[in-house]
Amino acid sequence: MSKDSANPEVQEHAAEDIHPAAKPFLFLVGSTFKRNFLWIPLVGILITTILGVMHPLKHPAPWDVIPGSWAVFGFLAYSFIVFMARPLFKLLSRDESYYGEGGLPDPYVSAEGHSETNPETSDKSGDKS
Amino acid sequence: MIDLMNINPGLWIILAGLICALFPKTDGTHYIRKVFLIAAPIFAGWLIFQMHSVEPEYIRGVLNFGGIELTTLRIDGLSLVWGYLFCLAGLINGIYGLHEKCRITDSSALIYTGAAVAGVLAGDMITLFIFWELTAISSVFLVWKGGEHAYAAGLRYLAIHVFSGVLLLAGAVMVAQSRGGDFTFNFIGLNTPGGWLMMIAMGIKCGFPLLHNWMQDAYPKASITGTVILASFTTKFAIYALARGFEGVDILIWIGAIMTCFPVFFAVVENDLRRVLAYSLNNQLGFMVCGIGIGGALAMNGVVGQVFVHVIFKGLLFMSIGAVMYRTGTAKASELGGLFRSMPFTAVLCLIGAGSIAAFPLLAAFVTKAMILAAALEEHLWVPFAMMLFASAGVMEHSGIKVPHFTFFAHDSGRRVKEAPWNMLVAMSLAGLLCIVLAWPWGGYELLYSLMPFEMEAYKPYTWDHVVFQLQLLFAAIFAFTLLKRFGVYPAERRAEIIDSDWLYRRLGLNVALWTSAMWDRLNFQVNRLTKRSLGQVGQKLYQMFSPAGTMSEAAPSGLPAVLVAGTLLVTLIVIYVLGT
Repeated sequence: MSKDSANPEVQEHAAEDIHPAAKPFLFLVGSTFKRNFLWIPLVGILITTILGVMHPLKHPAPWDVIPGSWAVFGFLAYSFIVFMARPLFKLLSRDESYYGEGGLPDPYVSAEGHSETNPETSDKSGDKS
Repeated sequence: MIDLMNINPGLWIILAGLICALFPKTDGTHYIRKVFLIAAPIFAGWLIFQMHSVEPEYIRGVLNFGGIELTTLRIDGLSLVWGYLFCLAGLINGIYGLHEKCRITDSSALIYTGAAVAGVLAGDMITLFIFWELTAISSVFLVWKGGEHAYAAGLRYLAIHVFSGVLLLAGAVMVAQSRGGDFTFNFIGLNTPGGWLMMIAMGIKCGFPLLHNWMQDAYPKASITGTVILASFTTKFAIYALARGFEGVDILIWIGAIMTCFPVFFAVVENDLRRVLAYSLNNQLGFMVCGIGIGGALAMNGVVGQVFVHVIFKGLLFMSIGAVMYRTGTAKASELGGLFRSMPFTAVLCLIGAGSIAAFPLLAAFVTKAMILAAALEEHLWVPFAMMLFASAGVMEHSGIKVPHFTFFAHDSGRRVKEAPWNMLVAMSLAGLLCIVLAWPWGGYELLYSLMPFEMEAYKPYTWDHVVFQLQLLFAAIFAFTLLKRFGVYPAERRAEIIDSDWLYRRLGLNVALWTSAMWDRLNFQVNRLTKRSLGQVGQKLYQMFSPAGTMSEAAPSGLPAVLVAGTLLVTLIVIYVLGT
């Protein structure tokens, strides 16, 4: 990154530190919050399923006899889409220069390898997931 | 004296664009262009309001051109919504682009906005065609401003849209012929071949399956401001035309339902977030197309409402990713992450856009998407309903979670950049505010209802069952995301070119064309060679026959002609004898 620091385009957009307005919310990326975040939607599902039994749909679809039908549908649909991602990527992905037109815009500064060099911010998986 | 009330308001925006294009390119003149950029949509919106106040169905600007009656200005319930919406979008886009000093962007943005406004206010199919083509021609400059890598995509964009216009004109002529020369733009239907042609033309512009690729090809390659502007008008103009001409046409239900589903799978594997949003745009257009196919007051009002809020929240998402791109230079998810540390306001506004598109209660699409889904349920269209519900989970995946997560959260990419420029923040805040106001339960969504053109019993979005079941779907999607991520099932963002059906013409078609060209060259060569050889042989034979040294020049016996004449006479006598008997 130091190589690019002389680039005026990079200097124009660079900031010294974390934005003051963001500092109170850094807990959002802390490991405790990340680990426990799972419970928020789970509790939400439980509450809305109970409420759904108490307040059924006025125009139900045939499958709405199952309590929490939309939650089941949402979970399965979302999971199906995500599970399809790997085979689809294998099938459809090509090199970025495949069409020979220069691809899509790249960053002013490469952040490659940053997560490995910064243990505080690195992900265990080492990728963007 | 020019009567303002007789002129299509879109033309004033186009005029402002032409003036901007002719302005000298010196320092300081961009301030004047920016005044035009902000003032022209406001002026046009005010004119539309004044005209609609005069009469609910305001028809002016009737011209007779070569025996064809053109109605250049029609403001009724349907066109009014689009007219207001496009002026509002023009204003927000103008604010968003205030930091730019590009004359081409400013002028083409104004001409493009004006063409879209003028197009939806056109009362006949010829005027519609003219502005249909003008939107294509004016907007391609926004694609080309994306840089060298956008040149080919811009050419493809232009070719496809001009072709769509040609189909529209051909269809319009055929439809008018079947109506005895009436070019009025009203319900068209599919009873004539012209109707099919017009529907395909509109399908190209609003991204029907397999006709959609121009969107994902051109939008991510356009300039930052250009993409935001492009996402506002072209497709929604086409949705207007479909709503006007093809309400209740059954085939649109299925086309729309497929449109909602297929982009979801591309969006999940795509790395470039502007392309993800282009797929997301395609998916949202599917809801609108499906609603038009269902027809009836509830579905059509749902479509109108969905178009209105969609321009705002989709614009907001494009604007927030554009702001990130402005600061970092890229929209690739694999290069981003953790940017809420640097751009917290942009992150919050992006989350509002994401919540709106995912139809969270209190945010924009919660009211309007539900109307389309409710209309499908009322008609017992279970399969399209299930497809739209599936797509809703998909929307949550790509726009509700993926876009904000990989940009602002995920792991820290280490980038420390400035917050978005003030003008971008103002434009995004305006859009974010509208996302909340237009879904606000206490008087907010009624504002949207007041614009809806079709009479219906007021649809109540904030009922227990609707809120609870929508939240079930959204919580389940978030739960699935967190669970799949924890177990490492959620795929990593990787740099790649994801091929879509445009591969058919960009790769296969191109190779077939190159092969055909090579074969044609070889065929030409062989034909030339054979022709030369054959002609040479014939010439040689003739030479051998007739040249001074040829066979015919050789001395022949003088009695031979006498023998030939005698032979002919004998044959003639035999024929006469046989015929005589």
